[in-house]
Amino acid sequence: MLEDTGFVEVQVGPAADTFGGASGEDKARAYEVYGYAFLARKLA
Amino acid sequence: MADDLVVDPGTLRDQVRDKYREVAVDPHRSFHFHTGRPLAARLEYEQAAVDALPDRAVESFAGVGNPFSLRRIQPGERVVDVGSGAGFDSFIAAGQAGPSGRVVGVDMTPEMLQKSRETADALGFAQVEFREGLAEQLPVDGDWADVVISNGVINLCADKKAVFEEIHRVLKPGGWLQFADIANGRPVPPEALRDIDLWTG
Repeated sequence: MLEDTGFVEVQVGPAADTFGGASGEDKARAYEVYGYAFLARKLA
Repeated sequence: MADDLVVDPGTLRDQVRDKYREVAVDPHRSFHFHTGRPLAARLEYEQAAVDALPDRAVESFAGVGNPFSLRRIQPGERVVDVGSGAGFDSFIAAGQAGPSGRVVGVDMTPEMLQKSRETADALGFAQVEFREGLAEQLPVDGDWADVVISNGVINLCADKKAVFEEIHRVLKPGGWLQFADIANGRPVPPEALRDIDLWTG
């Protein structure tokens, strides 16, 4: 979707266990939900 | 509602606003996600930058990742924070951009806006401003920003394509989008996608 919108040089960082130990952990584990950092650039 | 959206954007927005109103006014109660300083440590924010902020700037932080982990804000850059909440990421960005930079946080929840504005005043961060608005209709001129940041917000928007198009509009050519959000490794069943209660908790 980022590239479809005109972004380039898309990077994705490592997964962060955002919900580990929180009450939402069970739902997060069920669908393998993690947090990620994304970096992209608008075409110059 | 557009045919390709699985939930009504307005209804979802109301639920999100209700949830994050609670995070603004009662940040120490239990949520289905972590908040505050423990969350910032979990997401590996720079400890010194977090320690430098007062509790009111950090306690309502409810992000899902670290939008500064792949790139730091450079001194003097103009930054837009989409869904700025109580301002935590905006204040981190302001620290990196320095006094010659500019940060505009945009949020739709009045309680978050009030809290972030009061904190900015208390910190004396003249380069930070908070505006009421939606991710799909940012109150920012086109080609204004060097950087757009966001944290755990886009996944809560029904029309993600509209959000990315709006971010693209406000960025200068060559500008950076650096954001954090959740992604699932296993497919979510269609009936769960249509259950609006699951979007916010």
